[in-house]
Amino acid sequence: MGKTIKQREGAVMIVGGGIAGIQAALDMTELGYYVYLVEKAPAVGGVMAQLDKTFPTNDCSI
Amino acid sequence: MITNADFLALEGNPGNFTAKLNIRPRYIDADLCTACGLCTQYCPKHHVDPYNEGLSITRPIHIDYAQAVPATYYIDPSSCMYIQHETCQICVPVCQSHAIDFSQKPETRELTIGAVILSPGFGKIAPETLEKYNYGKHPDVVTAFEFERMTNASGPFLGEIKCFSDGRHPKSIAFIQCVGSRDLGCDNGYCSSVCCMYAIKEALVTKEHDPEVDITIYYMDIRTQGKDFDAARERAEAIGVKFIRAKVADVTPWENHLKLTYSTFDGQHKFDSHDMVVLSVGLESPKDAKGIAKATDIELNKYDFCQTETFSPLQTSQEGIIVAGAFQGPKDIPESGTQSSGAATLASIILKNQRGKGTESKEYPEEITVSDDEDVRIGVFVCHCGINVSSVVDCPEVAKDAGKMDNVTYYTESLYACSQDAQEQIKQTIKDQKLNRVVIAACSPRTHEPLFQETLKDAGLNRNLFEMVNIRDHCSWVHANEPEAATDKSKDLVRMGVSKAARIQPLPEQTVPVIPKALILGGGIAGMTVALSLADQGFESVLVEKSSSIGGNLQNLKNTLAGETVASFLKNLTMKVTKSPKIDVVTDAALTQSSGFIGNFNSIIESGKEKKKEQSVDHGVIVIATGGHEHRPDLYQLGKSKKVVTQKELETKLAGRAKNRAPNSIVMIQCAGSRGEDLNYCSKVCCNHAMKNILKIKEINPESQIIVLYRDIRTYGFAEDAYLDARKKGVVFIPYEVDRKPVVSTQGTKVQVDFFDSIMQEDVSMTPDLVTLSVGLVPDGTEELSKMLKLPVTSNGFFLEAHVKLRPVEAAVDGIYLCGLAHAPKPIEETIVQAQAAAAKAAIPLVKGFVTVDPIVSSVEQDDCIGCGLCTSLCPYGAIIMEKVGKKRKAKTISASCKACGICASHCPTFAISMGGFTNEQLISQIEAFGNKTVEEKVEA
Amino acid sequence: MSDKSFSPKILGFLCNWCCYAAADAAGVSRFQYPPNLRTVRVMCTGRVDPSFILKGFLEGADAIFTGG
Repeated sequence: MGKTIKQREGAVMIVGGGIAGIQAALDMTELGYYVYLVEKAPAVGGVMAQLDKTFPTNDCSI
Repeated sequence: MITNADFLALEGNPGNFTAKLNIRPRYIDADLCTACGLCTQYCPKHHVDPYNEGLSITRPIHIDYAQAVPATYYIDPSSCMYIQHETCQICVPVCQSHAIDFSQKPETRELTIGAVILSPGFGKIAPETLEKYNYGKHPDVVTAFEFERMTNASGPFLGEIKCFSDGRHPKSIAFIQCVGSRDLGCDNGYCSSVCCMYAIKEALVTKEHDPEVDITIYYMDIRTQGKDFDAARERAEAIGVKFIRAKVADVTPWENHLKLTYSTFDGQHKFDSHDMVVLSVGLESPKDAKGIAKATDIELNKYDFCQTETFSPLQTSQEGIIVAGAFQGPKDIPESGTQSSGAATLASIILKNQRGKGTESKEYPEEITVSDDEDVRIGVFVCHCGINVSSVVDCPEVAKDAGKMDNVTYYTESLYACSQDAQEQIKQTIKDQKLNRVVIAACSPRTHEPLFQETLKDAGLNRNLFEMVNIRDHCSWVHANEPEAATDKSKDLVRMGVSKAARIQPLPEQTVPVIPKALILGGGIAGMTVALSLADQGFESVLVEKSSSIGGNLQNLKNTLAGETVASFLKNLTMKVTKSPKIDVVTDAALTQSSGFIGNFNSIIESGKEKKKEQSVDHGVIVIATGGHEHRPDLYQLGKSKKVVTQKELETKLAGRAKNRAPNSIVMIQCAGSRGEDLNYCSKVCCNHAMKNILKIKEINPESQIIVLYRDIRTYGFAEDAYLDARKKGVVFIPYEVDRKPVVSTQGTKVQVDFFDSIMQEDVSMTPDLVTLSVGLVPDGTEELSKMLKLPVTSNGFFLEAHVKLRPVEAAVDGIYLCGLAHAPKPIEETIVQAQAAAAKAAIPLVKGFVTVDPIVSSVEQDDCIGCGLCTSLCPYGAIIMEKVGKKRKAKTISASCKACGICASHCPTFAISMGGFTNEQLISQIEAFGNKTVEEKVEA
Repeated sequence: MSDKSFSPKILGFLCNWCCYAAADAAGVSRFQYPPNLRTVRVMCTGRVDPSFILKGFLEGADAIFTGG
C-alpha cells in the first residue's frame, strides 16, 4: 500500500469495521462504489468475531 | 481496508469530504507476513489477550484469531520490550520472511470521499458499575462477554467452563440481567436490547455442555421481542433453565459459593447460592463517541449514542454522514446488518452520479483448460474447523484414507480451511500440485461452497471442478458421542465425494441481462420508502397498492413515541412518491400472476374498482412490502363492550376532541391474544404503543389512574425512557402469569376486570371507565403471495428471510426482497431501515445490469432428444421449451429460469438431459463409492 | 444375523433446499442421530432417477432414504 493513493470518485468512508461496517462495505462495493473501511483495531470483525454461536439458532458466527 | 487506524477529522461537504486518518504502525510488513506464527512462539514477553476478554495470555507480537482479516500479525506497542525499553528484538531474526520492521512510524493519510458511514459499534460498561456485584473482587463473578469466550470451543479454555477460584466445574450458574442498562445508577436508563438474547443463548450452550448444570436467570422483563425469539426462551425453559423475576441486590462470597440476595416483585427478600455468577452487561455508546461527534459535528443523544429521528433513522444531524449499527442505539446482529444495507442505500443516493467511476473489477487469471483425456488430479483438504470437527472425527485418518483413493494426488488437513491463509495455501497447492479437481471436507456447501469456488477461480480453475463433503454438520456435530462411527462416516462421505469429483467437468459461466425496473408490492411506509430510495438512485418502479390510497397503517397513527407528527411526514412522503417520474403508482390493484426469474420477471397486475383492467409489467426485481394489520382477538369482551378498545382505537380517540377521551380510570391488558393465544409470537410494537398512549393520557388528564397488566414490558432501546416516565407519573404496572390471566366481563354498560395482583398477592376486582387491549399484528396476504412466488413463510405466516443474520431482507428466491410487517412485526423506525436495506439489495442487480446463472442447470443433448415433450410438461418452472430443429421437435432449457431440480433429467427416457454438477455418471459413481465400503466391511467381517 | 447387531446401511438422497438444509440445521442444533446414513446431495429429489435407487440396493444398501 503506497502512501499516496490516487483520488477516487464515488468513494465512501466507513468508520468501524464490525459487522455493521463490513456489511455496509460489501453492499457499497456491490452497488459500484469504492470503499475505505477504517478500523481502529488490527483486524476487522469487531465483537461478532468473538462470538461462537448466535441467537436464536445458535448458528456459527464466523 | 485500512486497519489500525484512527479517524481524526472531517472537512468539506456531502459529495466532497476530506477525512484525516492516523494509521498506527503494526511493525510488521503486511505484504511479507505469512501469518506462520513463529514470532509469537519466540516472543518472551506476556501480554494479556483482549480478544479473549483478558482470560488468556498471548504475546505482544500476535494475531487475534486464526481467521482474522487481514491475516497479518502485529505488535502491540504497550508491552513490546523493544518499543518500551529498546531491548530484545528476538522476533526480528526469527521471522523467515523478514517482515518485522521496527522503523515503521505512524502515518497520516487523507481520503477524499463523497459520503461517510459511521459504524463504530458500542462500548463496554465501566467496571465500577459491576463492583456492586463483587466483580473484580471475586474470581467467579464474570461478565457475559468473558463467559462467551469461556463457552467458545476456540476460546481460551476450549469450551470448558470452570470456576476461576478453584478450577471446579460450576454446578449452578446465575445470570443477572440489566447490569449497566435500565440502571440509573450509572446513567444508562435505556435497555441494551441484546442481553436477554445472549443470556438465553449462553444458558442453552452451557446446558449443551453439561445438561446437569443448574441455571437461573434473574430478570425484570425478558425482552425476546425479535422474530421467533420467544421460541428460544421457551426452549430454554423446557430444558430446565429457571427464570426468576427479581432484582439482585448484592453478591457476596459464602464458603466456596456466591450468595445472591434478591428481592422478588411481591416484596420478599430471598437468598440463593450459586457457583458462578454471570453479569449480563449492557452495551454503552462507543468509547470514542464524543471524539467522532467532534470530528464530524454530529449530534449525540443524552446517552452519547448518535441522535436520529424516527422517520430518518440512519441520518445523522449532518448531511452526507450516515450512521449504522449499535452507535445508533444498542441492537443485535440482524438489526445492525439491516441498518448497514440501509446506510448503503443512503450513501448510494448521495454518490449516484459517481457510481462505478472509482472501482475496478476483480480480475481472475485465465482459466486453465481441463480436457477429458487429461489425468484426473484430485486434491483433498480435510478441515478441522478449529475443534468442531477434529474433537470427534479423526481428521488425519480421514485424510490418509482419502489419499489411498484413485486419482487423489494430494491430501492434507487444515485447521480452518476457510481462513485467509488457508485459502492462499489451497491456491498455491492447486498450482504446485497441478490439481484439476478439489475436494474439501469441512462444513456445509450451503454456506461455504461459494467461498471455495472463488478460491478455485483465483487459482485459475473452473469453479465447478469442486466438491464439498460435509463432515461437520452431518458428522461431528450429530455423532458427537460416537467418534469412531463418525470417523467411518466421514471416510465414506469423503470417498463418495472424491469418486464424484473424479467425474466432474468444467462448466461455462452464463450471464443474463437485468430489466432495470422494480415491482413493489404494498404502498405503505415500507413500499413507499423502497420506491423513493430506488428512484433517488435512478431506478424505475411500479408500486402496487391494494387499497385506493397509498400510506398504509401510518394513516391511522397520529404521533410517534418520540413525539413527531405522523400526518405531515406522511403527506410529504406521499407527495414525493406520487410526483416522482420514476414511480408508477397503481392503486386498487393486485398481483394476479408472476413468472420469470431474477432480472427478467413478468407480472400481471389487475387494477380498478369496478372496471378491472389488466396490465403486464416486465421488471428485474420484486420487493414485498405488503404489510400487516391489527389482530382483533375474540377475547376480553373486545367488540362486545364499547368500553373495551384496542390501542389503535385509543390513539384515535385521544387525538379527537371528546371531553372524556382520557377517562379517570383505565386498565390496559398487554399481550391480548399474543404470545401463545391466537398469535404465537410477540408483536414488538404493543408495549411502545401503550407507553405512547399512556403519556398522552397523562398529558390530557394527569389525574387518570392507569393500571397496566403485562407479562413482560418490552420497551427496548431508548423507549425504556418512556416506560420510566410512565412509572414516574404514577402508572401502576402489574405482571400477570399465563395461567392466571385477567378476566374481563360486562355488567350492563359497566365493564369489570378481575385479576390477581401479583405484587400485593391478592385478587382484585374493579370497574374501570375503559379497558384497552394491546393486540398483536398479523401479516397481510402472505399466504397467496407465497404460493404465487414460491416463497416460504414461517409457522406464524410471515415471510421467511434467506438467512436471519447474513441475508435478513432477501427472500429464498433470488431477486425477491422483503421488508416491513410482512416480514415480521416491527415499529416504524425499523420498517424504514428495513425498506432502505431492501432497496440496497434490490438495487444491486439493477446496478450491475446482469446476473450470473449458476451453471448447475440442465442442458439437453439435442442429438439424443426424441422430442417426446415429457420434460416440458413436467418442469415446474416452465424452463424447458420445445423448439423446431430442422424438421424435428427438440427440447431446450432456458438456463435463467431453471432451478436445477433435475426432474427433467430423471424422467428423460433417452438420458438426453444432463444436470451440471449432478450428472448421472457423477451420481452413479457416488453411489458406487457408497457400495465399496459395504464390500470392504463384509470382507473384514 | 441377530436383531441386536443389525446395523443397517442407509443411502440418502437429500434435496439441497430442504432436507440437506434440515440436516445442516440438525447439526447446528447438535441433534444426535444414529450414524448409519450416507448422503448424496441433489438439488432436488426430482433429480433422483429410479435407477439410482436400484443401484443403491445393488451396492448393498439396506434402505434408501429420499428427503425433499
